Amino acid sequence: MTTLLQVIGLTKQFAEHKVVDAIHFNLEEKTSTALIGPNGAGKTTTLSMLTGLLRPTAGNVKMLGNDLRANIGFLPQYPQFHPWLTALEFTEMAAKLNGVAAKKAKLEAQKTLEFVGLGDVQHKKIASFSGGMKQRLGISQAIVHKPKLLLLDEPVSALDPVGRREVLDLLKGLQQETTILYSTHILNDAEEMTDQLLFLQNGKLVEQGTLREVRQRFDEQNYVIEFGSEEEAKLFANPSNHVIGCNVYIEIVNEEPTMKMLLQRLSECPYTIRKVERQTASLEEIFMKVAKKA
Amino acid sequence: MRGFNVLLQKEFREAWRSWKFLWIPLVFALLGMSDPLTNYYMMDILNAVGNVPEGFEMLMPELMPLDLIQASIGQFQTIGLLVMMASFVGAVSKERANGMATLLYARPISFGAYFLSKFVVMSTICFVSILAGFGASVYYTTILYGTLDVGALLVSFSTYYIWLLFVIAVTLMMSASFKTVIATTCAFTVIFVGQIIDMIIGIFWTISPWKLASYGIAKFRGTIEMSDYWWSLVITLALTIICIGIGIVMMKRNASMTKI
Repeated sequence: MTTLLQVIGLTKQFAEHKVVDAIHFNLEEKTSTALIGPNGAGKTTTLSMLTGLLRPTAGNVKMLGNDLRANIGFLPQYPQFHPWLTALEFTEMAAKLNGVAAKKAKLEAQKTLEFVGLGDVQHKKIASFSGGMKQRLGISQAIVHKPKLLLLDEPVSALDPVGRREVLDLLKGLQQETTILYSTHILNDAEEMTDQLLFLQNGKLVEQGTLREVRQRFDEQNYVIEFGSEEEAKLFANPSNHVIGCNVYIEIVNEEPTMKMLLQRLSECPYTIRKVERQTASLEEIFMKVAKKA
Repeated sequence: MRGFNVLLQKEFREAWRSWKFLWIPLVFALLGMSDPLTNYYMMDILNAVGNVPEGFEMLMPELMPLDLIQASIGQFQTIGLLVMMASFVGAVSKERANGMATLLYARPISFGAYFLSKFVVMSTICFVSILAGFGASVYYTTILYGTLDVGALLVSFSTYYIWLLFVIAVTLMMSASFKTVIATTCAFTVIFVGQIIDMIIGIFWTISPWKLASYGIAKFRGTIEMSDYWWSLVITLALTIICIGIGIVMMKRNASMTKI
């Protein structure tokens, strides 16, 4: 894989407060990276520095072989448009400002609006658009010039469930064509479309890696065993286990019990065992662990 | 100047669709026609309103066509400027505050191009407005008072337009430098307090942009030194260029103030 973007020691300080504190990361071509963190972690500030809207206090950003500003598409969390323009006029303007030839810009704008599902309303003024339509228009203006890197700040957080699903599906479609870096605090979304995770907390990058790598580091092997009856579950369980209905939840603490010990207990027990399942921690659980560790 | 044409088109669209090309010239046209009409029909107005004591006679001054144009310029200088500055002062600062600038600033645009595109559109609105204002004033003056010298008209029109370019440059510079409220205060202070100072103690100097509005007519009447006129013109143009330069720098410097 080719590295598209290198972020080296990026720092932003307002007065005495470091909002982003010397973060380093790389983005590989045609991958999707989620910038995760609680409110105030520094996600938007990081994206603002990458777009050039904010000047970093220290550090730099290198887009390999390319001019950064000409090759990014940016969607802010609450995109504001010029309401007197139509969707087509705005997208066409966005294309032209990013260097698409005037003759080609209109065609590209129309194609992009079709792609995001606004083909039918391309001649309507943006003032009449709903929140979901504006978000799709935001994506359209960000991708119309076919940027190498797409920066999205909380792209779905302001949308209702239907709008959220539509926008997520759109972004999944784009994953094959471009590199995406997006910030979110909705961890289900990150789980759905992410190759790499960057955990930000108090301006520091506290954890990074692929979803699998992060899981391996933080996911303890917890198990759930389903018995034939609630009574059997209670009889099997230790005081340290949780019992809910017929299920016994076994938490692995300090690598105890090992798989071997567990299998031995299960083979010796006289009760009906319906199911043994390893529980995978959700990204939210991992996030809480990362936050605690930091 | 990357993107100048595109941004200019956007600014023109905005001005057109927000009716600025209609209502600002309309205000100037109303201001322009008010003086010739009210002066000419003053006696009739007073008689119609009533309350004039019996035997009361008022001597109305004998007005020349150029006096009426000068009076119209006086109207433009107060209400006209107020309307124009109020509608332009948020051009940069409001876009930053409501986040509309974000999607433009994140692109590889030239801030010079963006500032100048706004300046060109505002200058065009101003041109159309004073054209409407002078047109209305000249029309009624000609009908009611007699013909005007075309040369005098052209000189006063052009001189007044250069003063307006300075006003726009100051307004835009303030908008690029500060938030809307501060920008409004600063722009109004520079233009209107400048005018008041010039009115009160302006006899101590003869060269100033604030004198330019009246110099167009005064030049034709021969009541000022030509060198004062030309120097005021040159200084106004120079200050306009300086304001544009500062405005561009401030627009770029304050780009990070845009709401994200």
